[in-house]
Parts: sequence; structure tokens; C-alpha cells
Amino acid sequence: MSAITEPATLQRSLQELAERPPERDGRAPRSRGHRVARVFGYIVLVIAAAALLVPFFWMVSSSLKPANDVFSVPVKWLPQTWDWSNYVNIWTHSNIVVWIRNTLVLAVAVTILQVFTGSFAAYGFARVKFRGRDALFLAYIATIAVPWQSYMIPQFIMLSKMHLANTLWAIILLQAFSAFGVFLMKQYYETIPEELSEAARIDGLSEYGIWWRIMVPLSVPAMASLTLLTFVTVWNDYLGPLIYLRNPDLWTLQLGLQTFVSNQYAANYGLMFAGLVISVVPIGIVFLFGQKYFVEGIATSGMKG
Amino acid sequence: MTAIATDVDTSPTPPLPRRRSRLRRRNSLIGWSFILPNFLGFALLTLIPVVTLFYLGFTNWNIFGTANWTGLANFQRLLGDTTFHTAVLNTFYYAVLHIPLTFVVSLGLALLLNTKLRGVAFFRTAAFFPYITSIVAIAVVWNLLFSPQYGPINQLLHFVGIANPPTWLQSTTWALPATVIVSTWRDMGYYMVLFLAGLQTVPRELHEAARVDGASVWQRFWNVTMPCLRPTTFFVTVMLTINSFKVFDLILVMTNGGPGNATLVLSQFIYQTAFVQNQFGYASAASIVLFLICIVVTIIQFLINKRRSA
Amino acid sequence: MNRKFAAAAAVSIAATLSLAACSGGVSTAPSATSDNKPVTISVSGWSLTTTPEFQVLADGFHKQHPNVTVQVKDYDAANYATLLTADLAAGTAPDVVAIKQVTDMVTFASGGQLVDVSDVKLSDGIKGASSYKLDGKQYAIPYRLDGNVLFYNKDLFKAAGVPDPDGTWTWDDYTAAAEKLKTGLKSAGSSALPAYLHTWNSQVQSFATAQTPKADMLSGNYAYMKPYYEQALKMQDEGLQLPFATASANKTTYQAEFGKQQAAMELMGSWYVATLLAQQKSGDADKFQWGMAPVPQRTSATAGTDKKPVTFGDPTGFAINVKTDGAKLTAAKEFLSYVESEKAAESLAQIGISPALVTDAVTKTFFGQQGIPTDSLSKFAWGSQKIAPQNPPSPKTPIASTALTAMHSAIMTGSTSLDKAISDAGAQFKNQAG
Repeated sequence: MSAITEPATLQRSLQELAERPPERDGRAPRSRGHRVARVFGYIVLVIAAAALLVPFFWMVSSSLKPANDVFSVPVKWLPQTWDWSNYVNIWTHSNIVVWIRNTLVLAVAVTILQVFTGSFAAYGFARVKFRGRDALFLAYIATIAVPWQSYMIPQFIMLSKMHLANTLWAIILLQAFSAFGVFLMKQYYETIPEELSEAARIDGLSEYGIWWRIMVPLSVPAMASLTLLTFVTVWNDYLGPLIYLRNPDLWTLQLGLQTFVSNQYAANYGLMFAGLVISVVPIGIVFLFGQKYFVEGIATSGMKG
Repeated sequence: MTAIATDVDTSPTPPLPRRRSRLRRRNSLIGWSFILPNFLGFALLTLIPVVTLFYLGFTNWNIFGTANWTGLANFQRLLGDTTFHTAVLNTFYYAVLHIPLTFVVSLGLALLLNTKLRGVAFFRTAAFFPYITSIVAIAVVWNLLFSPQYGPINQLLHFVGIANPPTWLQSTTWALPATVIVSTWRDMGYYMVLFLAGLQTVPRELHEAARVDGASVWQRFWNVTMPCLRPTTFFVTVMLTINSFKVFDLILVMTNGGPGNATLVLSQFIYQTAFVQNQFGYASAASIVLFLICIVVTIIQFLINKRRSA
Repeated sequence: MNRKFAAAAAVSIAATLSLAACSGGVSTAPSATSDNKPVTISVSGWSLTTTPEFQVLADGFHKQHPNVTVQVKDYDAANYATLLTADLAAGTAPDVVAIKQVTDMVTFASGGQLVDVSDVKLSDGIKGASSYKLDGKQYAIPYRLDGNVLFYNKDLFKAAGVPDPDGTWTWDDYTAAAEKLKTGLKSAGSSALPAYLHTWNSQVQSFATAQTPKADMLSGNYAYMKPYYEQALKMQDEGLQLPFATASANKTTYQAEFGKQQAAMELMGSWYVATLLAQQKSGDADKFQWGMAPVPQRTSATAGTDKKPVTFGDPTGFAINVKTDGAKLTAAKEFLSYVESEKAAESLAQIGISPALVTDAVTKTFFGQQGIPTDSLSKFAWGSQKIAPQNPPSPKTPIASTALTAMHSAIMTGSTSLDKAISDAGAQFKNQAG
């Protein structure tokens, strides 16, 4: 793709690129047409964003209504009176602090394990040629193709016999070794030119060193997106904790909230939505501030030349 | 990608056979050492239950008691099961609609939001919000939006003059397309994130060079962005395909397979057969069919990708 | 590598399945008496914070048998069957398992997970026990039985100038009253609808099955449901109740529709009594005068307080895990014997649960709750209707259920014609049940 292979030349061209004033994005609109187009674009984006946030708005609105007002014909989009008791109820009468703690522990543990073992394994699949590699990779992908409900009972029986059911370990183990992470990182590694690793190999770096010193820093966007998606998946996971975490001390946020608001015949939806609002806000914040890692700056994107 | 089996030795003679096999073994060992941590967990916790599942498809296990081998009886039964046929057809219908739509929309979003414009972080968060919002909330809201008499969508359609708008989720004709819309709306943020990460690998200099050469926006997209993005598009396509064939949660909460069996998809058929009707062996056989569908399509995609990258 | 794979897989499969098979063991003979040594038994229940009946039964039993401690284990209500199934398969289920749905009993019993409790003597007059009989053996004991009754809003009836139900209604009388209510409520300025039909398929189908002679849900022939669907569709078309499509889309709840006076009449199970009383007390429901009446009948032959009106309902009960043995088994059987006794029934009636055993004392206790209507028709509707089983105890029942659920939404949304939907459901049932 490019003739630049020498690290020194690379460095120099990066320097030039970085010092050049940003062209495409930050430049001022050249003409009035451009400005109008930009304003129009913004309006469209704002409307689209509003449309995307409608369910969240509904959740907040419902959480401020008493139980029997949540569903009605015709629909009431705004609560008649703003009733904050659901939030108070959850904070004072439920074990939400324990649930948040458990969920955090799980999300962090799973994310770390998934990102590191996944990218480690992805390097093996992407860079090291050995017999059976492609077949094994296909087996990894193949397991994604099976719906979890299908093998959840044999899996549960197995984990119960290992005395891991009803512990947080069960969830950590179930989620941490997913084929998804391996697949994602492998695809990303394939975009990193071979020449970089070659140069490093010549310099005497071991494969493990190459992984740590070259692949990992260059794949920050992929690792960031894997981190985020894994974190969200574990945070919102309901069925897994439902089956495995029976002890109320182990409940995660989604599980605790559902149990707190339902009885045999109905769920108190107002209360449930209050809980769901509480549960979605941290993720939104994490995403908002963690975004810059998916969209790395100029410095590393130039390396792919 | 080239293998690392290239010998550093610059002698003109080819490496001796023993050296090559030792190198191969060394590569195997190194390769396995990378894969092992992840693979151990994967094999133990996922691979074994999945293989068990394949075995169960040939038995009549009902969760309790022994699994008696019944050979292909379950599969023969599937062939004659009209509800199963409906589920397969619905699943394909859903996938054929959902995959291209979601792909285009999420790629478009990623391209649009891959800028440094002020406030773009907020818009990206908004695009991702449907994915992190609770499925229950999504199902409730979209049911309300699609409500035949009082829903805003139909009221809008009335306003623009359409006298008898479809009843969307309450209609056997429109329920599945409606769920595709909701599903795309929900998934686009997820795939947008994946595309965004992938777009970072497209070298800006190439874009600059192409622009200087006079290429239009579309030409730049098609000839510069897309080829560089291929590993990511492959990944997204495979995941999107598998997830579309496997769709379950959203449809279950929104329509529960109804009205009638209009939105009954394979995953729900499997769930019903296993947990409601307690025929786990039969459900496992259906899972195997779902798996085969996904794998065949995935292998086709793998082959296409291999040919493209060659 | 492939060979190692296969071997490992084979071993693990064998292990998993043999371990699963182990759960179908035979219990040893119960010991002679449990009255002396302390014994602890575990009982499964759901949503303990909002469902007090389990603890009430546990406490009542403990009073009678002080040496037996009863530990109630909390399960998630919505996924109870799945969770209990997983636990039974893994061998970690409690000694006594609550049976939430009749089909659960069938699943567990056919899988050899339940003890035959035919030797537990049932009180005279207890209802619902036949739902727990499989192959001639009794596998569970009922403690509560909720039949469907007609809840009606006395205030709205008065405002509309329509006479209250008198217990002699057929379905035609019901429709006629709804029509009168429609005009009456409108002229009274109320926006309430005459009736509310909840979206469950049982609300049409189970009446058909219960009230039509010789109707068999497991026959695959559902033509007998046609008149009932015609009645429901008629009410929908005339604007006498919310259309199914709207109720489904807006996820209306029966508690809100009746409790907030959006509808003057509602057919619902007797479990709603406790909820309505609680909500009227807390303010979640409006405070209005209401009553219970027998459900509308197919013909006047069964309609009237001097006759035996027919409704439907399923019991809730307890069964014993087949792995329970020795002193625990004896204690468990004694627990089952307690829950169907009159003493237990009275303690349940006190918290608003409709027990499976209804005697005069039980009726008196139930209608002693604060806020409950005490007119004789309500008492008759609650205690004297014939409650036909909603779900027959058979492995084919879940297959019929899935076919019938699909049929219900197809008909009520107007997507499929009545005849076609009925024949489709029959075909689906026969196709899957073999």
C-alpha cells in the first residue's frame, strides 16, 4: 500500500502531518452555502437525536408517574404530577447499592479479562500460522451462531456440579471468554501492516513483545470499542444473573430491579422505569466521555500508511 | 497475511526439512500460547455445552431423566412441523430486511459522525442510546408509537391523508417489517461504534491525495474508504448476519411472536419448544438447524472475503 | 487435536447427562414420625416481599409442628418455572416446590422429579386437586384456587342508570347490559367504557372450554370457541370495550382499567380482590363501590344463584422434590397436609387469598377484610361457582397453549378470519402433538 517502511521516515512524515493545520474538519465555512448547509445539518442531527432519545424520555416520564398511570388509553406523554417517590423508594427501600457494586465488579472483571485474553488470542489467530488455526477460528465463530437459551441448561448443570453456580464467578467465567472479542481484535490486527512487526522482529523483539509494544498501542480504537461493548453487555445482562445468582447479596442491578418491582401478577412499571433510568445513566456518561478513544487523533492513524 | 515462518537465514539453499518442521512446531507452540488463556475458558464454558447440545439434538431429552438416542427422528419431525417452517421463513424474511438496512444506516452514521465537529460526541451518544436503553422500555415505547388508533405514527399518516394506515405490530402483514425498523433503530449505534473504530484505520493522506487528484466524495468513499475498511465490514457483516438470524429478545418483548405466528422466529420457536413444551431434544435439533444456517452463510462470507483480499 | 476434542466432548457429554439422570432417584422410605427431632425443610416461593402467602403458611405450619423449621426460598415470579427447572436438573431444588402452573406439575412429574403424594389425605370439599393428578397418581396438593368472577363498578352502574348484575346473566345479558351502559355512561358524562377484556387468551377461550359441554382443549378441534369469539368481537366492534389491538399496543393493565374506573365491568380472577383492596387503601386505585358477580353463562340453565354457574380457574399448590427423604419427607408430607386444611385456608383468607378449601368459616374470614363488598351476590360469586380446570394436566397442554395463544391474537386483531384462525390452530396443534 505504501512505500514508507522505515520508522525514521515514518516519524518525520507524521511530524509534518501533525504540524499541518487541521484542514478538513475544523476549517471555517468558506461560503454562505456551506454555513446554511451546516446549520441545516445540525438541525437534522438534533431532530434525529431527539427521536433516538424518545424511549429514554418515556422511561423518565413513566418513572415520575404512579403505577396505574403508566399505561393508559390515550397515551399521556407527560406525567400529570411529578412524583419522585419511585426514586426515593428505590434508594431507601431496595438494596440498590449492593446491586450496583456487584454489577460494577462483574462488568470490570469481565471487561478486563475479555479485552486482554481476547486480544492476546487474536494475535495468535492473526499473526501466527499454525496447523488447524482456521478451523479453530471457525469453531470460535460457530459458537456465536448458537443461541444461548439452547445450551444454557447443560451449561448450568455443569457449573452447578463445579459449585460455581450462585457465585459471581459463574457470570465472570461465562462472559469473559467470548469469541466476539477475539473476532473483533483479529480483524483489527489484520489492518496493521506486517512490516512493522517484521522490523520489530529484526530488532530482536519476541512475539509477546510485539504484541505488547506494537499491536496493543496501535489498536486502541478497537480495544476501546470492545471495552465499551463488553461493559454494556455485562451491565445490561439479565438472563445470566437470573439463572446463576440466586442469593440476593449477589444480585446485579437489572436482576434486583426486576425482582423489586414485580410480583406474580404485575410489575410496578413506574418503579421499574425509575430503576432503569438509574441504571442507564452511568453507561451514557461512560460513553460520552470515553468516545475519544474510538476516534483516535491524527498521530496514530498516519501509521497505517 | 504472511506467516512468520520466513527464515532469517540468507543462504541461497532452501532450509532443511528438519529445520522447517521444527519451525512449524515452534510456530504452533507460540500460536497456542497466545490462544490458550482465552481458549481454555471458551472450551470449558462454551464449547463443551455447545457440543453437548449437538448431541442432544439426536435424543429425546426432556431435561430430567436420561437422553435416549433417537437418531434423525427429531429432524424428520422438523421437516413436517409447519410451525417450524413458519419460524424459518420469518427468520429469513427478518434477516433479509434487517441486514442491509442496518449495515447502510450504521455505516452512514459512522461516516457522518467521524468528524471533529463540536458536539459530535453528544450525537454519537444519542445514536448509541437505543442500544443501552432497556429492551422493555423500547418495546413499550414502540408499541405505543405504533398503536393503531392513538399512536403518533398513525396519527401522522392520517394527517397526511392516508385513510387506513396499517396496524403495524397488531397486523400479521406489517408486524415483522415493523420489528425490523425497531431492531435497526436499536442496533445502529452498536454497529456504528464498530465502524467508527474501523474508520480510524483509513489513512487520511490517501483521502487527501485522492481529493487533490480530483476524486468526488463518492469516488473517495468507494475507492479509498471501503477497501481500507474491509476487515471491519467483514466483521460487521458476519456479526450482523449471525445476530439477525438469532434475534430473540426484542421480538419476544415486543410481540411475543404474534399476532398469530407472524413474528415467530427460530430462536423463539426453540425457546418455546424447550421451556414451554419441555421437549429439549427437539429444541436442540432446531438449534442445530439454526446453527447450520448461520454457519453456511458465514462460510460463504469468509470465502468471499478471502477472495477479495487476495 | 481433533481426536482430543472428540474424546473430551464425549466425556463431558456423558458426565453432564449422567449427572442429570441422577436427579431422578428413588427416595428412601419415610421415617415413622417427625414429631420429636428438629427438622428443617426448604420450600420454594416467589416474590416473597409482595407475596405473603408463603411465609403465612410456613409460620402457621411451624405453630402446629414446632420442631419443623420451614425455610422459604425466594424465586423470581416471572421466570419461576425456568429457574426451578434448572435447579431440579442440577439437583439444588428445595424439598418442597410450589407449583405455579398446572403444566409445571406435568413437566416435573413426567420427569420423575416429584413424589407421589396420593397418601396425603385431602379435606372434604377441597377443590382443584384433580388438576394435580397424572396417570392416576396425585403429585401435588392445592392450597389456593382462583376462579374468574365478574367485577363491576356499582357507582358507574348507578350513574348510568343500569341495574346491577343479579347473578342470572348469560352472555347475551352481559352484552345487553354493556350496550345500556354505553348510552347511560355517555349521558352521565363519564368517559368510562362499559367493559374491559384483558388481552390474555384465557379471557375468551377458557370460558368456552369450561362452559361448553364435552369441550376438550386437547382435541385439536376448536370450533366450539366460535360463539365466544363472536361475542368478544361484537363487543369490540360496538365500542363496548377497548379493542384488543389497542389494549395490546398500549399494554393496558387490568388493575388500572378497573381500578381507575376506565371500565364498569371486568372479568378477572379472584386474586384481584386483594390487589384492589390494597390499591384502594393506598390511593393507587379510586375509592368506589364495587361488587362481584358470577361470570356470564352460556345458557340460563346454569345462570342464577339457585343454580351452579360455571367459571374457570387453576389451583396453586405444593409438591415434594423426589430427592427428599427420611425425616424431611415426613415433614414435607405433613406440610402438604397442613396447606390444604381449614386452618391454613382461614389464614390465607385473612390476607385475601382465595383458598382451595372454602367453608363457611373461610368465607366469613375472607369477607371480613376491610373494604370488601359483603353483599350476598359477591359471596356467592366468590365461593359458589363451579370452577372448571383451566389447563388439563397433560403433556399436550403446552402445545395446545402455544397454538391457542397465536390463534387469539390473530382473531382479536382482525388479522385472520375466525374460521381460518380456528382451523389453523387445530392444524398447528395436531401437527405438533402428533
